[in-house]
Amino acid sequence: MIDFEEELKKFEPAIEVEQAEADIKARDLTDLTDLLVNISSQQNATATTK
Amino acid sequence: MQCFMCGAEVGNEKVCYNCGADILLYKQIVYTSYVFYNQGLEKAKVHDLSGAIEALKTSLQYYKYNTRARNLLGLCYYQVGDTVRAINEWVLSKNLQEEDNPTADRYLAEIENDPGLLTKLNSTIKKYNQAIEYCKAGSRDLAMIQLKKVISQNPNLVKAHQLLALLYIQDEKYADARKVLSAAAKIDSNNTTTIRYIHEVKELLKEQNTGKRRKKNDVFTFNDGNDTVIMNEHALRSMLDTTKTSLINIVLGLVVGLLICFFLIVPTVKDNMAEGNTDTILALNENLSEERDKNQELQEEIDKLKSSLSAYDETQDIPTSYENLLAAQNAHAAGDDAAAAESIQLVSKEVLGTAGKTAYDSLYTTLAPTIIQGYYEDGNTFYGDENYESAIVNFQTVVDIDEKYNNGAALFLLGDCYRLTGDSAKALECFNKVVELYPGNQWGRQAKVYIAADDTELSATEVGD
Repeated sequence: MIDFEEELKKFEPAIEVEQAEADIKARDLTDLTDLLVNISSQQNATATTK
Repeated sequence: MQCFMCGAEVGNEKVCYNCGADILLYKQIVYTSYVFYNQGLEKAKVHDLSGAIEALKTSLQYYKYNTRARNLLGLCYYQVGDTVRAINEWVLSKNLQEEDNPTADRYLAEIENDPGLLTKLNSTIKKYNQAIEYCKAGSRDLAMIQLKKVISQNPNLVKAHQLLALLYIQDEKYADARKVLSAAAKIDSNNTTTIRYIHEVKELLKEQNTGKRRKKNDVFTFNDGNDTVIMNEHALRSMLDTTKTSLINIVLGLVVGLLICFFLIVPTVKDNMAEGNTDTILALNENLSEERDKNQELQEEIDKLKSSLSAYDETQDIPTSYENLLAAQNAHAAGDDAAAAESIQLVSKEVLGTAGKTAYDSLYTTLAPTIIQGYYEDGNTFYGDENYESAIVNFQTVVDIDEKYNNGAALFLLGDCYRLTGDSAKALECFNKVVELYPGNQWGRQAKVYIAADDTELSATEVGD
């Protein structure tokens, strides 16, 4: 049985054109390759320190 | 291939010999991204846009520079009516790969070239957001109106369909909800929310049809012009079930129709027919009299023409008659009275002039014995052949010229021909004249016998010569 109120909460307002720029800026574009670079960088740094 | 850490050329090596970075792992990440892209592409092809969006998002989480995946994600967003997200993806795609990115260029160019489109889409989005606000505020009617407008402006906005369906379900308008959800399913076939709502609506419709959830005071609403009519089920059913009333009305209508036909139409038709017949007879009479007049006129015309024709014939007869007269005179002069008699009989005396008539009379008198003899001989010949009709003609001619011819023989034979043809009156007339003229000769005596005995049946052979 559908709970109207609960279902209604799932409907979020759509992004308007004016909010497009803010949405792009707020986007976290980090991907797995970024994480790999970070991890590799940290490993390299640790190795250099030692 | 270059190392993702130091940029050194690594070729097909698994580890960068310059910085020690794990190239194999990097490659696996990139390949995994493309695997998800392929999945997204397959799903997009079968209109499973939700599935495609999820797969493409995952693909980009692995490798953000997968431009194809990003462009396709934008396209999927655009297809489900989420235009701003679509534009954002294409803008990001263009930023991340400025060169050699024709797909993003094309999509963005199309939107830029039609500024009205963006305005319209933005207005639709605003209305959709407002509808959500109305829902949250409890104004479901207003929300429904807004959502209907949104769907009419942007039929691909799946979220609007879903929200409208939710409102219909809340108002127990399950059939309407199903219709809206079907439209949403056509755009995005595997959307979990849509599928869930459809299942729910199907169940609710089933329950509604089997009457499990039917309430005693179920109400039905329908629009009558600008008014919304609300009535309970019983009233609606009784209103719709007009079978009996209709039947009674039909029977009554038939009866009234028949009565009207019998009392009003039939007499009128009869009168009209009688009037029509009278008119027809009058018209026919008029026609008949007209035709008679015409006939009389034509008859008069025929008579005139006949008289003209006879005058013409007479005119034509004049030279012939003169020629015959001359021929008769010539034949007579040559001593051939028989030929002269034949020629003179062909002359029409009426058409001759005074001199011609005188000459004719003179010659005819001269030739009369020959002519009479000819007729008399012919008559005798016909009489002998028992051709009494022709014999009568010849004897009558003889008698007309000279009734005493051959001591009454011609007259007696004429009477005898009449007797033999059954004309007793004429026969007696002839016999009486013979007795009167020659009571003593053989013709007179035989005539007396016939008269006295009134025996006209006796054979002529008994008379003797």
